[in-house]
Amino acid sequence: MFRNYLAAALRNLQRNGLYAGITIGGLAIGFASALLIGLYLRHELTYDRFIPGHERVFVINQKVKPQNKPLVDMDDSSANLAADLKLDFPQIEYTARMAPAGFPPTIKREGVSISERSFAWVDPDFFKVMPMPAVAGDPRVALEAPDGLVLSRSAARRYFHQDAPLGRQLLVDEHPMHVTAVIEDLPTNSHLYGDVFASGKAAFSMLRQLDAAGYSANSNLTYLRLKPGVSTEAMNAALVGFVQRRIMPAQRLQNPNQQFDQFAMRLKPLTSIHLEPSDGGDPKPGADVKVLAGIGVIGVLIVVVAAINFVTLMTARAARRAVEVGVRKALGAEPRDLIVQFMGEALIYIAVALVLAVALAELLLPAVNAALQRKIAFSYLTDPPLLFAMLAVALATALLAGLYPALVLSAFRPAAVLKGGPVAGGPGGIAVRQALVVAQFAVLITLVLSTLTIFRQTVFALRDATHTDKDGVLMLFASPCTDTLRDAVLTVPGVRAAACASPMAVNLGNSNDMVQIGDRHVFLNYAPVDFGFFDVYGVRPLAGRLFRRDRPGDDGALLRDTSPTIVINESAVRALGFKSPQAAIGHLVTWHFIQKLSMANLGGTYPPPRASEVIGVVPDFTFGSVRQPINPFYYYVGPKDDVLGSVALNIKLDPARRAEAVKGIDELWMRIGKGMPLQQYFADQFMLRLYVDNIIQGGFIAVCALIAISIACLGLFALSAYTAERRTKEIGIRKAMGASSGDILRLLLWQFTQPVLWANVLALPVAWLVMSWWLRGFAYHVAMPGWTFVVAAASGVLIALSTVFVHALRVSRARPVGALRYE
Amino acid sequence: MLKLDKVSKVYRTTEVETLALNEISMEVGPGEFVAIMGPSGCGKSTLLNTLGLLDTPTSGSYSFFGEEVARRSERELTALRRDRIGFVFQSFNLIDDLTVAENVEVALLYRKVPGGERRRRVAEALERVGIGHRAKHRPQQLSGGQQQRVAVARALVSDPSLILADEPTGNLDTVNGEAVMALLTEAAGAGVTVIMVTHSLAHAAVAQRTIKLLDGRVVSETLLAA
Repeated sequence: MFRNYLAAALRNLQRNGLYAGITIGGLAIGFASALLIGLYLRHELTYDRFIPGHERVFVINQKVKPQNKPLVDMDDSSANLAADLKLDFPQIEYTARMAPAGFPPTIKREGVSISERSFAWVDPDFFKVMPMPAVAGDPRVALEAPDGLVLSRSAARRYFHQDAPLGRQLLVDEHPMHVTAVIEDLPTNSHLYGDVFASGKAAFSMLRQLDAAGYSANSNLTYLRLKPGVSTEAMNAALVGFVQRRIMPAQRLQNPNQQFDQFAMRLKPLTSIHLEPSDGGDPKPGADVKVLAGIGVIGVLIVVVAAINFVTLMTARAARRAVEVGVRKALGAEPRDLIVQFMGEALIYIAVALVLAVALAELLLPAVNAALQRKIAFSYLTDPPLLFAMLAVALATALLAGLYPALVLSAFRPAAVLKGGPVAGGPGGIAVRQALVVAQFAVLITLVLSTLTIFRQTVFALRDATHTDKDGVLMLFASPCTDTLRDAVLTVPGVRAAACASPMAVNLGNSNDMVQIGDRHVFLNYAPVDFGFFDVYGVRPLAGRLFRRDRPGDDGALLRDTSPTIVINESAVRALGFKSPQAAIGHLVTWHFIQKLSMANLGGTYPPPRASEVIGVVPDFTFGSVRQPINPFYYYVGPKDDVLGSVALNIKLDPARRAEAVKGIDELWMRIGKGMPLQQYFADQFMLRLYVDNIIQGGFIAVCALIAISIACLGLFALSAYTAERRTKEIGIRKAMGASSGDILRLLLWQFTQPVLWANVLALPVAWLVMSWWLRGFAYHVAMPGWTFVVAAASGVLIALSTVFVHALRVSRARPVGALRYE
Repeated sequence: MLKLDKVSKVYRTTEVETLALNEISMEVGPGEFVAIMGPSGCGKSTLLNTLGLLDTPTSGSYSFFGEEVARRSERELTALRRDRIGFVFQSFNLIDDLTVAENVEVALLYRKVPGGERRRRVAEALERVGIGHRAKHRPQQLSGGQQQRVAVARALVSDPSLILADEPTGNLDTVNGEAVMALLTEAAGAGVTVIMVTHSLAHAAVAQRTIKLLDGRVVSETLLAA
């Protein structure tokens, strides 16, 4: 019996090659998309599980809410924490800290200098807390020596062209260090990001500097591995007492005026770091679980769109199998026999589509990995859960999508179909097909509107939301940025203006101080800048003036016992209680001016507070993400002795001489850069890193929209061809009665426009709800004006019409006699 | 063997009611060859569908081989049809995607006949109608007459008690029509009851009895002179 079914199925497939090809093609594209999305989601949801015993590994997470300030959730912690935890908790097997380099160190070998961004300072027990597969040496003890370096395999090949350069030397910021172990490259589903791990015991390491800052700075991650059998809940409960015992006294010593509404510490599981990103400290941007869920939903929707194609085409062409069904029923087939037969055919379609989908996914995976900056593997033969999931999805699709056509086909009544002549589609067939096309286009229109909104928000975030003019501004990173460097760059032809800025001014750091005005105490962020910084970015004062060299009180580098003047932003005007920017001018604000900003000074006792005059108010502007509101800031001109005070030279270029200026700066750097690699970005590029996730999301949804459009168009193309064929007799009669080709064309086009119009009614409110929710995640965002809905709606109609136009035109021009003779 | 007693069939839509059969009573004995004639729309096909358990009467009773079937469920009717009835249609109604042998085999599939026996019986049936040499061909590769022979083979392969033929020669030329009639006559001679709808007086004359319908009623019965 099944051989008979199989013969009928395969030959029917062969005979209807075009429709079968469209159906299988659509399913294959849908499955391939869902497969790639599934692989990506699995990658995102399984971060750090490659670490042996990862269930016992944690990072210290702190939730801190200073009085009158918002809550901060950070995976950063203080340098003293690891040692204090080890002392107080014998349940901890190992602790280790990790600190980024701050400014990327220059690594030299045999005259070649590289600014190494993938660099981290770590404690010697780092690879005991997080064991990694070794290529050479023993990473667990490799960093005991202060000059020890652990390289990734890629770094070993990059610097030494071999996999095991044990004992070989590299100069790190002119300090000799030696390779003591090599590990495999970190997988992309690790929250860690690094090719070079250096021993924190080195005298010049960031960790040693942070030791000096004590509990005043939260600039490193603290990891720990618990002993087997230790309860995480018990540890978290015990941390409450630890905070009271160790942390709060240190905080009170640091700043007696600072009160906290909340200071909580907990063990955050290693495998949660990526999915529960904090406000600061994580080496890589984390994932937004809601976005991942949305991506998963889109993957399902693409399969649904492809399955709808299958259902509509199978039911539309069901009439061609009516005679076979009638004969089988007349000869004694029960509905159950026919359902089994046609569900089996559905399974054949799905199986072929699955094989094609696997091939397509394998072909596309390298491009997907490149676009997402991931290394996702697809080894279904050695990955039983993946294989099982693929087969389960295919089977579920076959059952769900195959059931309705099987029911339609098995419902034909033999008495009705065996007389001969044309047969109508199954009961309720047209209405169901229309509903399915409506559903397909509703998905499509939702994706189009989502793509448009994400694109507009990304452009807004990069261009308008920062309230600065970053066009033609080059950022040159120097350690530190000095007056000498600035003055040298100003001599380069094509350079209009240049000014240094601290990390805090360009959102590479975050410092705040408790300021006082009258008897009011307020936390404000502060950022040292250079003369002319605001001019480089086109920021004009709302009230008062900006810093001027001819005003000695403006230059913090020249002052010893007094504080320099300050400029505040609009948010600071409100925070300090002024009614307007003008009202703030001339008032005195008391704050702690630290003459030389450095880690050591930040960790020491604060100098006595001194008063500064507010000389100007600038609009709120930011180099940060528009996801957060702009903080209240005060700016001052400070000394440029340390990278904390001055890290980037911001250079405004003449648009007409941009290339000349960039070349001139390159040549200047070669003369004065002391062999250090040049690190420069255009300000637009620099900002782009904050929105990589948005850009990837937007790109992803745009690709999904294209896929959904392609699949829907394939189905609509086939459906329109079939419908035109079915209506041949009707069209012949209409033409014989006097209808013009234009009348017929309008008739056929209207048939396919109606479901799209209904799809708009469904899709636009849903898309508005979803996108409004997404936009609420930004402190500053675009609106959703009416024209975006019109564009999305019109695009659906246009896509549908352009897909069916060819068939409709051909049929409308056919001669009536040909159609009538058809019968 | 078959007895209709005041059988009526009404087709109803939301707006129209059509009385296709109007209190028809008739009997057909085992091994009889009966022809049914009448103008278009007189209810011939409806009567054939009712006799073949493809449709159920609106009222009246139908005794099928001693069993009352007028109110039976679709499942029960399917089982009776499978075990007892073979069909031959005017437009052949062969399945285009199957070969000649596979088309004939369909009649045995739902009777759970084992594979080996199915193949044997299919070969015999094809030889009986003289089309065995085309077993692997597809219907589209055959002439009309050949296709109808395949349909007759399909009707015969399951050893039915009853063959219902709805204008079996309607789409055939004279020669092929005669050939099909010969097959049906041979089946009747072997004890199979044959009921045939036809427009052809010549073919009706082959039957032992001709029933004429008009507007859903039996208006006359003619017995062939022995």
